[in-house]
Amino acid sequence: MMNAFVWTLWLLAGLIFLLSTRNPIYLIITLAGLFILGNRLAKAKHISAWVRSNLRFLLTMLLLSTLINGLFSHAGETVLFTIPPSWPLIGGNITLESLAYGAVNGLVIGALYILFNIINLALSIKQITRLIPRAFHPIAMMVTIALTFFPSIQRRAREIKEAQMIRGNPMKKISDWLPILIPLLVTSLENAFLLAESMTARGFHKQVDLRTPRNLISLILGAFAVFSGWILQLYRYPAWITIVLYLIGGGLILLTLILIGKQTKITRYHHEGWTRLDILMSSVILVYLISFAYVSLADRLSTLSYSPYPYISIPVVQTLGVLFCLLPVFPMVLPRYD
Amino acid sequence: MNKNRLLRLGTDLFVICLGMLSLISPFIFPQASTLNNQAATFPIMISLIILLCLLIVIFEAQSSLLDSKMIAFLAVLTAINAGLRFLENAIPGPGGFSPTFFLIILSGYYFGSRIGFLMGAMTLLISALITGGIGPWLPGQMITAGWVGQSAVLVTFLVNKFALRDKPGEIILLSAFGALWGMLYGVIINLWFWPFLGAGVGQTFTQTASALENLQRYVVYYLATSLVWDISRAAGNTLIISLMAKPVLKILHRFKRRLSFQNQEVIRR
Repeated sequence: MMNAFVWTLWLLAGLIFLLSTRNPIYLIITLAGLFILGNRLAKAKHISAWVRSNLRFLLTMLLLSTLINGLFSHAGETVLFTIPPSWPLIGGNITLESLAYGAVNGLVIGALYILFNIINLALSIKQITRLIPRAFHPIAMMVTIALTFFPSIQRRAREIKEAQMIRGNPMKKISDWLPILIPLLVTSLENAFLLAESMTARGFHKQVDLRTPRNLISLILGAFAVFSGWILQLYRYPAWITIVLYLIGGGLILLTLILIGKQTKITRYHHEGWTRLDILMSSVILVYLISFAYVSLADRLSTLSYSPYPYISIPVVQTLGVLFCLLPVFPMVLPRYD
Repeated sequence: MNKNRLLRLGTDLFVICLGMLSLISPFIFPQASTLNNQAATFPIMISLIILLCLLIVIFEAQSSLLDSKMIAFLAVLTAINAGLRFLENAIPGPGGFSPTFFLIILSGYYFGSRIGFLMGAMTLLISALITGGIGPWLPGQMITAGWVGQSAVLVTFLVNKFALRDKPGEIILLSAFGALWGMLYGVIINLWFWPFLGAGVGQTFTQTASALENLQRYVVYYLATSLVWDISRAAGNTLIISLMAKPVLKILHRFKRRLSFQNQEVIRR
């Protein structure tokens, strides 16, 4: 199983690429790669119809986005037909360009969804929970307990429901669900108190006090620096100001979380290690990210952007761009890697 | 006002301002230049800033509130609430109807703004983990659900001010609050995604348009795509709170007394 941090890095690279391009050809190539990877992971987990359900979602998004943009946005020069202008909301020209623009949006939205779907498929709940920073130890504990209790709560809900149905509760109205909710709440919260007592018995009794104004203020300043960087970027201030603010903000937040995390003493039953393959994979993704940042900043990949307005045109493709579309392939290059 | 309360108030104000500024950025920062790329980065930047806001509130809340009892209590309550999301299909109700808000509102109303916020945010996180719903949409959903619980303290204030505790007015106020958030939740959640839907003339976000014009576009978009959905959510919240709030509040009252045993300070907060 690939290390959760490597998958996170892969996700980050995928996000950056997908949000940087509007070229439909690049998007289609990336989507094809994502489908192949997703199918492979789904098969390994014995999940059937993964491709079909995701394809259905992609096609729905494509259709919806095309229709919404086509009906609401009347820009473009190739008029297909005209809806009477007196019709509220949608009256006006339906153009090929606005439909194409909507379709490209649909591709981006679909690709983003599938990207995250693959992450959900690749990482176990345990791995995702482990990604919660150590500084948020009480929250991570809460998440773990909730996830552990979830199946038993569902089972109990089913049992109470069956008992109610045997007693003649038809379960048709919302009020019929009250006899399920109340016993479920009472029994589950009783269990919570038992759990709290056993946590206390095992030493988790002290109220966690991680807060010092300094830590909180650092986090607030960090968030404000990131926000300011973004706003200045919108106002077309020099790029270096934004980059500096992002670095200050991100660095401040990261440093604060690391320092707080170090104060929290935790033990691990199972330590997720870094294999040689993990290191190799993360190095490849880092090289990918650095190269992509370079070609984007140096304007070497102008075909990333594409606009069908005012006249629709065939998107231009560069070999370099196609190479960047191969991101989903990375976790597949090593046989039986995952 | 002591130092802790001041710090908490300052944190809340900062997070609400920054979170809302990010969400309404399409209206107030129309200077976004490159049409295509800026529109694409909007949702991811909004998600990032909202995620930072979430980290701040959760950090503050966990440091001041969470002892073993509170962790276990909230975790189980969150698991029940996440489970209620799966009952959406089982409980008879129209599209948009969701039974999850009711426990979030009651938790915020009965245990205070911090517990309400944690309950809302964590419910969405847990159900996303269970259903494989992790994505860029999650921070927006988490913070909005957190605000639902956090703002329920306003009902507490009104109930106390007008001495409505254990009277029909209490349930009426809670139901009205549920209805209000049924609508507001949709309005806020849509903001995250709306600028990404497209650009150009019509009802989609346009960088060159004024804030008022973009607001009009958003209203038209909202009316066309989400209003019916949100009305059914608001009606569902009202119905479920009016039917179930009273017995659930009794249970919460019982457990609140047990929670307060040994640790009065947690409950006072």
